[in-house]
Formats: sequence, structure tokens, C-alpha cells
Amino acid sequence: METFVIQFLHGLVYGLLLFLVASGLTLVFGMMSVLNIAHVSFYMLGAYLSYTMLKVVGNFWLALIVCPILVAFLGILMERLILRRVHAAGHVQEFVITFGILFALNEVIKWIWGSENLSVPVPLTLSGSLLIMGNIYPAYRLFILFFSLFILAFLAFILMKTRLGITVRAMVSDRDMASALGTNTPFVFMLVMGIGSWLAGLAGVIAAPFLGISSGMGLDFLTDCFIVTVTGGLGSLWGAVVASFLIGQLSSFGILFMPRFAIVFGFLLMAVVLVIKPSGFFGEKA
Amino acid sequence: MRNRNLYLWAGIAVVVLAILFPHISPRFQLRMVTEIVIVALLAMTWKMMLNEAGLFSFGHAVYFGLGAYGSVLGWLHIKDLSFMSGILVGGVMAGLISFFLGAFLVRMSGTYYALLTLAFNQLIWAIVWKWRDVTGGDDGLGKFPKPDLLGIPMRDPVNFYYLSLAIVAVCLFICWYFSKTPLGNVVKSIKSNEERTKFIGFNVNASKLVFLTILGFFAGISGALYAQFQEFIGTSSIDLVMSTHVIFMAFIGGVGHFWGPLLGSGIYVYLSEYLSHYTDRWELIFGIVVVILVLLAPQGILGITKKRK
Repeated sequence: METFVIQFLHGLVYGLLLFLVASGLTLVFGMMSVLNIAHVSFYMLGAYLSYTMLKVVGNFWLALIVCPILVAFLGILMERLILRRVHAAGHVQEFVITFGILFALNEVIKWIWGSENLSVPVPLTLSGSLLIMGNIYPAYRLFILFFSLFILAFLAFILMKTRLGITVRAMVSDRDMASALGTNTPFVFMLVMGIGSWLAGLAGVIAAPFLGISSGMGLDFLTDCFIVTVTGGLGSLWGAVVASFLIGQLSSFGILFMPRFAIVFGFLLMAVVLVIKPSGFFGEKA
Repeated sequence: MRNRNLYLWAGIAVVVLAILFPHISPRFQLRMVTEIVIVALLAMTWKMMLNEAGLFSFGHAVYFGLGAYGSVLGWLHIKDLSFMSGILVGGVMAGLISFFLGAFLVRMSGTYYALLTLAFNQLIWAIVWKWRDVTGGDDGLGKFPKPDLLGIPMRDPVNFYYLSLAIVAVCLFICWYFSKTPLGNVVKSIKSNEERTKFIGFNVNASKLVFLTILGFFAGISGALYAQFQEFIGTSSIDLVMSTHVIFMAFIGGVGHFWGPLLGSGIYVYLSEYLSHYTDRWELIFGIVVVILVLLAPQGILGITKKRK
């Protein structure tokens, strides 16, 4: 029973971290239909920036605020200079160009920070651990859990209650109509791209003390991110939450019961969902 | 008409050059050109999937990798399996898998097709990677026999180059011919309007399935040749990176054009060999080149010539 609870918590933490990365992709790819492979590079960049920030300033909370904003600026820059020009050409072009950006960004990161694995200390206030059902559980993981839930609430609030969210949802259902009704769609695009990149950077900063920093950390998350976005239903925030939760539990309990094939479950889930209900859990359009 | 003549002469020039190549160039170049010839077939099958049927395959490495593994396992475990039979075993294996996956894939289109191929790619990659007893897992499979073909030793790179060239040429011809057959036309009409094609009375899903199976078969042959070319096969031939390589190759040359994937795979292989020879940061340069290329020529290099026409 205790192992179950602990394993469940592990899965929950991993799933919510995955949600943080994937939520940005849900916004950018799911809602705006911009196939941005470089999203995981932003996640990686967030982590590396936080490493330098901690080296120089030594304050985790400052890094948590500043690094994602830097990443968001890069995302906006990329949207303005590059993605905007190819969006009309279609997904193939977007895929190729963002993969090119991913290649270039990853190399730049390796160039600046080297290709060795780096580690970031857990912030002092969160370095303790708690007792859960007689087990010691690191406080930082619980912080990830609550912080991700906070971000989820924040995103839900923006999407459901603010003017920006209403505009974005209008653009999801009919972009041309929204544009015809006077919405400045390119500007909203840019903003959503910024928020998406910000989320990726944020996830990077949060993940760094937990998973460590390595040059492969982005690509590790790439397929999981896509699994979450797709199985949840393109553009559905709640779908992304449910899918992240499921993937987290699948990988956590998969390792417990079938360690050799744990890696397969996520892909199996995606394949099965796509075959049975191509639009995903909460997706509208098939 | 002038354009058509130009292409004809260019085609003849390429063929003559390809045949004479082993006699005019050093060994290192020959290896590279052999690789270009083999992957060109793969890129061509990817391009046809997109161009003829409008299906964006995100997991093309499945056919390539299973073709490679299939033929290698054949050479390893079936006694005295000849060279050509081994290649065929690879192709059939890939064709079969393409048929089974196709049964699910034909109902999809657009982004969902791409993502389902991605899921299948990862699924099969994970199985190949973890099924150590058969596939060797991370270590891959090496030291498999390279049988002679009709007494001609295939260990000689020149002979192997000619064989690859011949096989790829035949496969490309069949691909080209297929796009002109009635079935090829049905597939094309599905791309332009699936509903209408269904309405006229064609069995849309069956046509797509046959199409996918044929392309999977040829991609598998490319994989089998590649296995013999490398004399080793590992999980890198079936992973997502390989799938993206294919997309790059087909895209760089221009997907809207028959010769696009051939040119693209040439440029891609050459660039990656050449750049990695001179700098460790070749991925950075490659990434920038790709970005500039897509910005300047969103339809690939041959797309530029088409626009001017």
C-alpha cells in the first residue's frame, strides 16, 4: 500500500511536470496549430539559463521569474522573424524549419554550456522532506506538484475569464471569422507564442533541480509532450491535464511492474487513443 | 516543352555520371554516393506518400528499419539465403508491417495521420530496442553474411554500388510507373477530394492501403540495402531521428517534384558528411541552413524552378 502511494505520488509529480511542458505546446500547437518542435529546446534553454542564474545570483526564485521571461522573448522573436513567414505554407514546412531551429538551438546550448550533465541545487527553503504515510518524501517534489496545479489554475483563468482567453478560443474555432470581426490575429499569435515559450522555460527552471540538466533533456520530453497534446485532444487544456496524469501514472507504475517495457506504454496509449477516437479525450474536431 | 527537354538531358547526364562514377572518383566519395543512392529510394517513398496521397508520414523509419532488421535476421537465421532473397525478405517484412499499420492509418488524414505514424514509430522502436534476444537491442546486429550475387562478390564496394544503383533504379521506375496507373490516379484524386472520390464509387481506404503497402515495401528494400551497406544494423535505423532525416531529405530537394528527393538526399548526405568532417558544430550550421532554405524556398530547391516557369 505504501509503495502504491509513493509510486502514485511519483507519477503525479512527473505527470504534472510533463503538463507544464506540454501545456505550452497545447497552446501553440493545439490551439494555434503551429507545429513547433523547438518547444522542447525552450524547455531546455530555461533549465540552462537557470543554472547560470543560480551560479551568478544564487537565488532560485529570481531565476524562476527571470529565465522564463527571457525564453518567452526568444519565442516571440522566433515567431516574428521565422514562423510567421512559413505558417501559410503548411505543417511540413513548419516541421522542417522548427526542427532546424531545434538543431541550431541545441548546438548553441552545447556550445555555451558544454555537453556534460549539470546539476542545480534544490532551493534551501524546499530542500527538506516530509513524512507521508511513514515515508520520507522530498519537499521539492511536492512543490512541483502544487506549483503545476497553480499554473494550471492560472492558465484556466486566462483562457476562460479574460479577454485574451476569449479571443484565443474564438480563434481556435474559426480563425478567419475572428480576424474578419476585427481581432488582431497576428498579435494574438505572437502573444500565445510568448506564453507557450514562457511555460516551456518555466518548466525547464522547475525541472532542473529535480531531473538534472543534460543536453538530451529536451528530446527526452519531445515525444511525451506530443503524446500528451494529442491524446488529450488538440487544443484542450483539460485533455492535456488528464493525459499528463495518465502518462505520469503509466510510466510510474509501468516501471514498478514491467520495467523493461515501461517506455512502451505511453506510445501504446497514444496509438490506441488515436485509433479509437482520433480527436483525443476532449478534442472537438477529428 | 523546352523544360521537358532540359529535364530529359539532366536525367541522362545523371544516369551516365552515376554509371561512370566508380571510375572517376576516390573510395571515400564512392561510399557517400552509394549511401545517397540507397537513401534516395527511401526519401522517394516518403515524398510519394505526401505528394500523391497527401499523407505526411512522421514515422517512415519504421519501414526502413524493419526492412533492415528483417533482411538481416533473414541472412543470420536462414541458411544460405541469397543476396536478393534477403533484400526481398526485408521488403516483404516492411510491406507486411505497412499493411497492418495501414489498416489503422488509412482512416486518418492530415495532422492525425502524422501523429499516429509518430506513435507507431515510437512503439515499434521501443519494441525493437527492448527485444534484445532477437534484435540485439542497443548493440545492434552485425557480422551477418554478405552473400555473392551470381558469383559476383558483393564485398567489393564498386560491385555493391552498381547493384544498389540497379535495384534503386528499378524501384524508382516502378514508383514512377505506379503513379501513372489507374490506382495511382485514384490515390491522387483522394488527395484532392476524398469525399468526392468516395462518391464516384472508389474504395478509398482499400486504395490507400494498397498504396501504403507498396511504398512500405520499397522503403523496406532501401533499409535492407542500407543494412548491407553499413554491414551493421542498430536501433538508430528505426528511431525518430531517422524519420526526421527522411523528411529533411525529401523536403530539401522539393516535394512537389519527381527528382526532388533524389537531389535532396544527395545534398543532405553530402552536407552532413562534409560539415561533420570540418566542424564539430555541424548541426548548428545545418540547422541555420535549413531555416534559411525553408524561408527562401518553402517548396524545396526544385520548387524555385517551378515557380519561375
